[in-house]
Amino acid sequence: MKQLVLVLAALASPLACADTHRQVLDQLVLAAGSGASAAQGERLFRMKSDHGEAASCSACHTDDPKAAGRHVRTHKAIEPLAPVANPARFTDTAKVEKWFGRNCKEVLDRACSAQEKADFAAYMISVR
Amino acid sequence: MAEVKARSLAVLALAVLLPGAWISQGLADHEAVFPMPKEKQYVDECGSCHTAYAPGLLPARSWLRLMAGLERHFGEDASIEATVRDRLTRSLVELAADSPASNLLMQRINAAIPAGDTPERITRGGFFKYMHDEVPAAIWNRPGIGSPANCGACHTKANSGRYPEREILIPK
Repeated sequence: MKQLVLVLAALASPLACADTHRQVLDQLVLAAGSGASAAQGERLFRMKSDHGEAASCSACHTDDPKAAGRHVRTHKAIEPLAPVANPARFTDTAKVEKWFGRNCKEVLDRACSAQEKADFAAYMISVR
Repeated sequence: MAEVKARSLAVLALAVLLPGAWISQGLADHEAVFPMPKEKQYVDECGSCHTAYAPGLLPARSWLRLMAGLERHFGEDASIEATVRDRLTRSLVELAADSPASNLLMQRINAAIPAGDTPERITRGGFFKYMHDEVPAAIWNRPGIGSPANCGACHTKANSGRYPEREILIPK
């Protein structure tokens, strides 16, 4: 019986996560108002700004959303951004908003628009 | 006869206990442990960008200055919600190197900081330098380490305030 429960839990957890990713994305898309473009999200991820050391997402997250990164100043290890490599990503709206808040300011020196956030999340969730 | 025996026993006891007491003034491996804030947010918030540094690595005045300037935190805006910030500040001050909660390790760290200084970088302190003077630049520069501020790279349980020698694992 215990084994059955474990098997069911193992089967259900990726589904539950996918569900949560969808919910988080849905909220961002709702705020954006006109859908989300994964292609635009990828452009934002790969864009280089002229803002010092942290001039792009890849400065800390590497060019590969599936790879672990490293904070450009403190060198602390950073888990992969794409849910396919790190299922905990994009499952908590408050956390997602907090990091958009911090990192958009850090890289772009401004807040990201609701559209940019929806696009970015759509891209990350689409990465296979 | 019994008196002589008692006296030599007393001498023996002193001969063992006095050096023992003296040796125990040094830092044993199991004592390289700091008390950590009980709030989960400390590791979640501060520890998401860098090691969740033990409060006992700096005096209270340093934490007060750091936490009052999170908007300009070593060149980054690290501001957090005010209620969380205030709660964490209280814990950092309560467990600081010069707090009543300090252990021998923390007292040593504090003793190496001049009273007129309010250091913001742990790695500039005399005790840190003393403890790491055998680490060559080539090791600091390894990709998995990168900076002396990256405690957790080698001190595998730094986020729990643990720095014992036997828990060190230096990345290749």
